[in-house]
Amino acid sequence: MSPSRKLPTRRGKDLDITFDGRVVPCHEGDTVAAALLVAGIHEFGTTRDGDPRQPFCNMGTCFDCAVTIDGRPLIRACITPVRNGMDVTSTKGY
Amino acid sequence: MYDLAVIGAGPAGMAAALAAADAGLNVVVVDEQIRAGGQIFRQPPIEFPDAALKPTAGYGWAIELLERFENHEDIEHLTSTTAYGVLRDRDTDEISLKLAVSGPTVSGVISARRLLIATGAYDLPVTFPGWTLPGVMTAGAVQSLLKSQHVLAGEDLVLAGSHPLLVVVADQLVAKGARVSELAFARGIPGPRELVAARRAIPGHTDLLAESALAVARLVSRGVKVSTRTIVTGAFGDRAVESVELARVDRDWKVSNRRRRREASTLVLGYGFSPSTELARQADCRMVWSSPKGGWVVAHDERMESSAPGIFVAGEPTGVAGADQARAEGHLAGLSIARELSAPRTPSGATFAAADKGVSRAEQFSTVVQTMFEPKREALATLATPDTIICRCELVTRTSVDATLDDNPFVSTASAVKLQCRSGMGPCQGRYCEGTIGALVANARGTSLAEAGHFTAHLPVKPVPVEALTRLDQVDS
Amino acid sequence: MKSSFDVVIVGGGLLGCAVAWMLAREGADVLLVERDQVNQHASGQNAGSLHFQLEYRMIEKGIEAAKQAAEAMPLHLEAARLWAGLAEEVGEPLGVVQRGGLMLAENAAQASLLETKAEIERSWGLDVDVLDGNEVRTIAPYLSESVVAASYCPIEGKADTRTAGPTMARAAIRLGATVRTRTAVTDLRRNGSSWSVTLSDRNSGESPRAQTVTAESVILTAGVWTTELGNMLGGYLPTIPLALTMTVTAKTEKFIPHLVQHAGARLSLKQSLDGNVLIGGGWPARLVTHANGTPDFSVRPELLRASVAGNARAATAVVPRVGPLPALRTWVGTTTVTPDQLPLVGPVPGAPGAFVATGGSAFTLGPSFAQVLAELALGRKPGIDLTPYDPSRYERGVGVS
Repeated sequence: MSPSRKLPTRRGKDLDITFDGRVVPCHEGDTVAAALLVAGIHEFGTTRDGDPRQPFCNMGTCFDCAVTIDGRPLIRACITPVRNGMDVTSTKGY
Repeated sequence: MYDLAVIGAGPAGMAAALAAADAGLNVVVVDEQIRAGGQIFRQPPIEFPDAALKPTAGYGWAIELLERFENHEDIEHLTSTTAYGVLRDRDTDEISLKLAVSGPTVSGVISARRLLIATGAYDLPVTFPGWTLPGVMTAGAVQSLLKSQHVLAGEDLVLAGSHPLLVVVADQLVAKGARVSELAFARGIPGPRELVAARRAIPGHTDLLAESALAVARLVSRGVKVSTRTIVTGAFGDRAVESVELARVDRDWKVSNRRRRREASTLVLGYGFSPSTELARQADCRMVWSSPKGGWVVAHDERMESSAPGIFVAGEPTGVAGADQARAEGHLAGLSIARELSAPRTPSGATFAAADKGVSRAEQFSTVVQTMFEPKREALATLATPDTIICRCELVTRTSVDATLDDNPFVSTASAVKLQCRSGMGPCQGRYCEGTIGALVANARGTSLAEAGHFTAHLPVKPVPVEALTRLDQVDS
Repeated sequence: MKSSFDVVIVGGGLLGCAVAWMLAREGADVLLVERDQVNQHASGQNAGSLHFQLEYRMIEKGIEAAKQAAEAMPLHLEAARLWAGLAEEVGEPLGVVQRGGLMLAENAAQASLLETKAEIERSWGLDVDVLDGNEVRTIAPYLSESVVAASYCPIEGKADTRTAGPTMARAAIRLGATVRTRTAVTDLRRNGSSWSVTLSDRNSGESPRAQTVTAESVILTAGVWTTELGNMLGGYLPTIPLALTMTVTAKTEKFIPHLVQHAGARLSLKQSLDGNVLIGGGWPARLVTHANGTPDFSVRPELLRASVAGNARAATAVVPRVGPLPALRTWVGTTTVTPDQLPLVGPVPGAPGAFVATGGSAFTLGPSFAQVLAELALGRKPGIDLTPYDPSRYERGVGVS
């Protein structure tokens, strides 16, 4: 799958988050989901069978974008704005 | 204690809040999204310099509505806050409504004399092999990423669906430089006779359908293959979408064996919408089945009050009908509540008459669109093959659901299937599998979709930490 | 459907389905009727606890009340024995796990209560040990430092409340039982030496169909509808409906192998085989009533804020790791308790050939209730002395507080 891409419009100021330890540069105002998609991250988590998941609805109803943020599980990346230094980890299904 | 708590800051919620606040009530609006607008007017973040909404043609009124809403002194808007249930205290003779909320600035209950549920809708789930693969997204997802995040999801897209919105999305994507290889429409494009009939039903109204026809022409001229009587039957790939399968269907959307594959990295689905009614169900509002209106919708009277005393409803939860009707219903609901609570500036009879007319006018158009684009639910339910995951959260396959029905002949409702095989018991609370489960039950038992019933909704209607529940008995947040 | 059976069982929860299986196994011709769906009500809505120690609700009223409640112990011990072998007997899993149960104390008074309770329980033959705080945290490291002692019973645990009833129903059907759902009982009367049961079948979708069947015996396994059915039969079966609240979390790593309860608070905590944490313990919900004040069981009870919050607090106080877990659902199930806290098990007074079981821990006691009912219906002497649970004690005024 090809990564999503940002349209050439102006955004908020630069900042960084991490995803599974990897630095993901993004902008103030980005949602975590958009930032990760644009960075080419195809798997926001895996199910207990090991299958990958990524945003499906982008509006907070499907939970396929759910990640762990700063230690809190099941946070919907699609409705969560990035903050500088945010520590995002992928969801491991049970 | 607020006079009115509104859940949802889309067109219905905003219109209701404004009507009530203009009448002098104190209003709080709770919404999970970062900004007001709901899904249809999902705004870019304020941190983006180009933070203004650029609504689709025909919705120019949205800008003014948003501006008035965001600047109104008597409306408190709690963003990124989940309203997760309705509780009732009955210590005195009056019912005291308590809205359970969890968010960055407030966690506990909000007391209000009246509630308005304006929770919108979500893209209709369609279950086929591979629908859980990364790269499969809803039309709403792709559109919101585009409009509110200025992000183009994927580069090599196939769009499949049946709802006119899909054509609008395709048009927007191509205009921004996306490569859309095919737009597969389940029915035919509405012909001249249908369009004329639609026009007659809606004299003087914006003709979204004619716009769609123009959009289709634009797409074709840009090299997009537009196919009709075609639905998606599969998405394939190792750990993301690499190809999709499309099939010819008959008038009833029954799949023929004329199938073909094409490469794609993103599959966009636009088969319609399901009303978001979990909060209404949790609050024990009576539900009614209406397939053209989106399935299970919330019953209400002419004042927009539901069957639960003190709880009103407006917008898509009453029937998927679009933003014009949502605004009209929200406006009417706000006025009704203001009158009922003897607001300082109670609206006049003339204002009410105009509001009623507004709803009727909007209804003329929406019923036409609903009938024209009603999804063929039973046919869509047959797309799932034995290995297809029906419940995305609990990973329940079609085989498992069929076995549940076969092994337990005494099971005859969607809820009983849910209890037995766990479909619907995950974080999405059954939103993405209820329709399919209902259709499979109806099919197996020879009953109607209405008789198969819906899932019960429970507090919290969206997951919240157990720790948040400990705040529910606070005196007041 | 034919119109004559050996036994009609009214109520398709775990208990009714288990009786149906036990009777079918003995060659009886059984009809099980259920007004809604199998396992839809209390059976499918409880916490799934297999608890044999005296619960908080029994000891909170003092030692004498606890001693009285302990008279149900023979039923508990028999239930523990039956649960352990049931899955193998029916040939399908029931999610039974018996890795031990803990009842926690967070202060000295509660710890002392544990000792007294344990004495009573041991006198009935229950294996229970009182452990100090450190010993407890060795076997249960997930417990908070506030736990100062706990009583441990190795045979306690859980079963899968979601699927146990339907599993027993399928087992009964395999052995020839007839199961009808969406079928209510509208009349029950004696007709010579047999029972005439009038049914109202809602399956056709239009207006309900009425049908009358006859049977030699009628068994009431109907939970909150017991009293109403008793009235139909002319027998006084007093029950008090109790709406109780449950909460379940999203799945997480398995870390709670035990059934956890509390000596000084309403709390039951366990983790399902799938990894969800189930929180309960007897927090009440508000029953909805008809205009005349009688409970309306067709409408779900309303949540009480104090209960949902109190239950969550009780859980997170002793297992802090539960706090951040996402809660997915809170729901209410309505069970029955009797005026004296002891179950109601035995022949329905004044109704020869009619038998009943309900009261309190009917999920835990399901198999032993079922066994006794089957024995009674087959005309055999039950293996347990049913005197303390005799339904006629209310008519005679015995043992009623």
